[in-house]
Amino acid sequence: MFWQQLVNGVTLGSTYALIALGYTMVYGIIQLINFAHGEVYMIGAFTGLIMVVVYKVNFFVAMLAAMLACTVVAVVIEKVAYRPLRNSPRLAPLISALGVSTFLQTLVTLIRGGPNPLPFPQVIQDTVYILGPIRFSKVQVIILILASLLMVFLQCTVKYTKIGKAMRAASEDYATARLMGINVDRVVSFTFGLGAALAGAGGVLVGMYFNSIHPFMGVTVGLKAFCAAVVGGIGSIPGAMMGGIFLGVAEVFGVAMGFDTYKEAIAFALLILVLLVKPTGLFGRPIQRKV
Amino acid sequence: MEAIISTFTNPYYLQVASIMGVYMIAALGLHLITGVTGQFSFGHAAFLSIGAYTSALMSLYLGTPFILNLLVGGLMAALWGVLLGIPSFKLTGDYLGITTLGFGEIVKVVFINMKITGGAGGLGGIPRETNVVVVYSIVVLAIWGLYRLQNSRFGRALLAIREDEIAAESMGINPLLYKLKGFALGTFLAGVSGALYAHLMQYLNPADFGFSRSFEILNFVVLGGLGSIPGTVLGTSVLTLAPEFLRFVREYRMLIYGALMVTMMIFRPYGLLGGIDFGKMFRRYRAQRKSMKDKKAVQG
Amino acid sequence: MRKKRFIFLLTALLAVAMLTAGCGGGGEEAAEGDTIKIGFLGGLTGAHSHYGIETLKGMKMAVEDINAAGGVLGKKLEIVEGDHGSNSSEAANVTQKLITQGVTAIVGDPTTGITKSAAQICQPAQVVLMSAGAVGTGVVEIGDFIYRDVLLDAVAAPAVTKYLKEELGWGKVALVTTTGLPYSESLTSIFKPALEEEGIEIVAEQSIMEKDTNFSAQVTELTRKDFDGVIFTGYYTEGALFMKEMRKQGLNQVMAGGDGLLGKELYELGGNAVEGSMVYAGFAVDKETAAGKTAEFIEKYKANNDGNIPDMFSAQGYDAVMLLADAMEAADSSDPKVFKDTLAATKDWEGVTGTITFDENREPIKSPVYLQEVKDNAFVVKAVIPIS
Repeated sequence: MFWQQLVNGVTLGSTYALIALGYTMVYGIIQLINFAHGEVYMIGAFTGLIMVVVYKVNFFVAMLAAMLACTVVAVVIEKVAYRPLRNSPRLAPLISALGVSTFLQTLVTLIRGGPNPLPFPQVIQDTVYILGPIRFSKVQVIILILASLLMVFLQCTVKYTKIGKAMRAASEDYATARLMGINVDRVVSFTFGLGAALAGAGGVLVGMYFNSIHPFMGVTVGLKAFCAAVVGGIGSIPGAMMGGIFLGVAEVFGVAMGFDTYKEAIAFALLILVLLVKPTGLFGRPIQRKV
Repeated sequence: MEAIISTFTNPYYLQVASIMGVYMIAALGLHLITGVTGQFSFGHAAFLSIGAYTSALMSLYLGTPFILNLLVGGLMAALWGVLLGIPSFKLTGDYLGITTLGFGEIVKVVFINMKITGGAGGLGGIPRETNVVVVYSIVVLAIWGLYRLQNSRFGRALLAIREDEIAAESMGINPLLYKLKGFALGTFLAGVSGALYAHLMQYLNPADFGFSRSFEILNFVVLGGLGSIPGTVLGTSVLTLAPEFLRFVREYRMLIYGALMVTMMIFRPYGLLGGIDFGKMFRRYRAQRKSMKDKKAVQG
Repeated sequence: MRKKRFIFLLTALLAVAMLTAGCGGGGEEAAEGDTIKIGFLGGLTGAHSHYGIETLKGMKMAVEDINAAGGVLGKKLEIVEGDHGSNSSEAANVTQKLITQGVTAIVGDPTTGITKSAAQICQPAQVVLMSAGAVGTGVVEIGDFIYRDVLLDAVAAPAVTKYLKEELGWGKVALVTTTGLPYSESLTSIFKPALEEEGIEIVAEQSIMEKDTNFSAQVTELTRKDFDGVIFTGYYTEGALFMKEMRKQGLNQVMAGGDGLLGKELYELGGNAVEGSMVYAGFAVDKETAAGKTAEFIEKYKANNDGNIPDMFSAQGYDAVMLLADAMEAADSSDPKVFKDTLAATKDWEGVTGTITFDENREPIKSPVYLQEVKDNAFVVKAVIPIS
């Protein structure tokens, strides 16, 4: 039973992690809580659905298309709603982000013709593998493998490519990076796009796993993924991964231990607890006060 | 003349005006926290709900007078504000916002799980005590109090913290204490507003005090003009009336609302009346006249 | 000097008040006397828009039928629409607006929460509120102007439980509740004593959240238990996904639940996993038993809606208007203070959803209960259980 719940928790957690990465990377560079990120994830799920239902492509093509669509959407959002506000007071981009998120939710509701959930077609024949006391579904295995692959890919991009180096530099010190000749605007766009691609993949994976998507699906998941990013230490990429999985497991075990009616509060209670004990999160860098 | 009287006695207008006033009080509280002190709070609705439930339960179970319920509702919210503030104010800007966000969601879930609050089914049968006169008396009182406060030593300390916390600290201001006091006052107003809400709507449901309500109040404060009392009043009025007028565009309403938020921030990042301080304008005008008179040193 | 600022603020407030006065309102000046206005309260937009739209469709059909037959007390009926966008704090404003526009009665809202807050306004204003969907507790207790024409779970759940025990032989069940959802929590509290009464054992109780999609933890807990079926008291979305998760984890029991599960999304989302699951409701289109008024209503609805069949909300919206009209006729008055009493005395009234009697507490007792089953991606009537 314990192992089964652990598998459930890790699967759920890895979807949180995929979304949390987007929050963490953007925050690391421009210190913006991108509240519209949850909606990008939702758009990913809907793009995946359209690709599968209308264009009848296979699952992997649908996922790639969703990742691409999300990248485009996120880069546009950044250009339109955040870039003009780079030097505004801290709350302005936040309000703008909320505006974008309301706009996208309503837009998708209008296009879809109502807020009710849509079924996600069964694109992969779901078989169940039994390993001792644990049951793995094929979808769970795919989610775990794809999520890990994407995270490894992200780690490599950030660590070994030139743009990755620029990202790290910009997150270390935005102003200095700019002075060193890094085109920070491009770096920011790239970061938004990269984060969105992961969220898009997350959207399709979640759609496939739970078979249901709706225009408001990004709200709670977005908030929880954001919690995951903070718990792991906002700005830290491995932190977001671990934070996501930690939160997923905690939620599943919380329910199993009988706190099922408090499920929605578990993530937030953990968040506050972690912040009070270690304000920078599990993997965060210490905050330096600049005088 | 008769038309004007019937306008002021029309229950629909009174209802809309009351709700607007109730939100104004909540927004004024957030104005003190975010606009004046510069601290992010994303869980303001939670304090509204604490005030609302406290006062509703008091009148349902204890039968205490309305004014007392209002006060206790406000104090209860302030108490929780302090309890949350003590550990959280050690954190900076965004982190404080995040803990308040988490707090807001937790409070909602707790109210859903509590028996005495009627859980998810909500709490009904609350006597209707709130009316336009009570609401706007409190609005005027709150505005007057905030003006007095902002121009006092205390208020200037809060502004100093907003502008530069480290500099303020080196000037002998204890930021933690001042932030806490400001937060307590802001949450007190939220609690009072919640108590008024409870006795206006006569029905409470935890779902009405979620994340989106908190951001709605933040919108009132930011879109009107961060740090400006007339801005907060204007922002609340415009945004609470907007849905009433936009009802004809139906499903496009939220689309327009979202787009409006983005464009507003791009063109007026400080809000409609942001950066405009009527008090200061007036003082400057007076000072100019005075300086013309006797050419003495003038303070800006 | 501070005074001047106050004057400024007061003027600003006054200006806003005048602005409201100038713009809002509207229809109030419509000539009184030749029509009887009935308000519609519900969400035509937002999260509950489906219920609102269907209720309004039913109401409009009823008004057409009544007006074609000469109206009520020689006057035409007219619907005043109030859309609150599924937002509960706006609902209070909309209710107040409807009352200002001179309605004698309001039909709506399909949800319990909003009905309660609207009732708080209708009762002191002495306007009859007839909810065509609120099934939760504490609604009509608000006052003698508040009614509903729904199948109460307190009436239906015991009858269905009896059927599950006697006809299907269920002896052990798992009970799943959506916490945070008033409908589900109150249905669970009705099912519990009913199950006990029939001697059905509850071997497991699990809670889920509304809008949640991941039920793996709860279902894993159920795999340890032995039971004949699931009593699911929540809505169709969660119900469908819960059943899918059960099939994933190798559990093959079916579920039974209330009209919260009624919606084509149940089988659209659930597919094979919900095959055989049972849902009870106060109205269903059953081609074999439908006759008289009900058959006429179904035909007319189909003709107006591209052949789609009516659902419970449109039928209840239709009955709500009909009930009000009949009460007005019987009282020979369209004054809410008068006809509310004849409404309360309604006995064995025949509507399209069955017969309705208001008991001494003004709660509706409706017969029959339609138990439906999912079969090949459709709801089919499995049993029609009369209420005695």
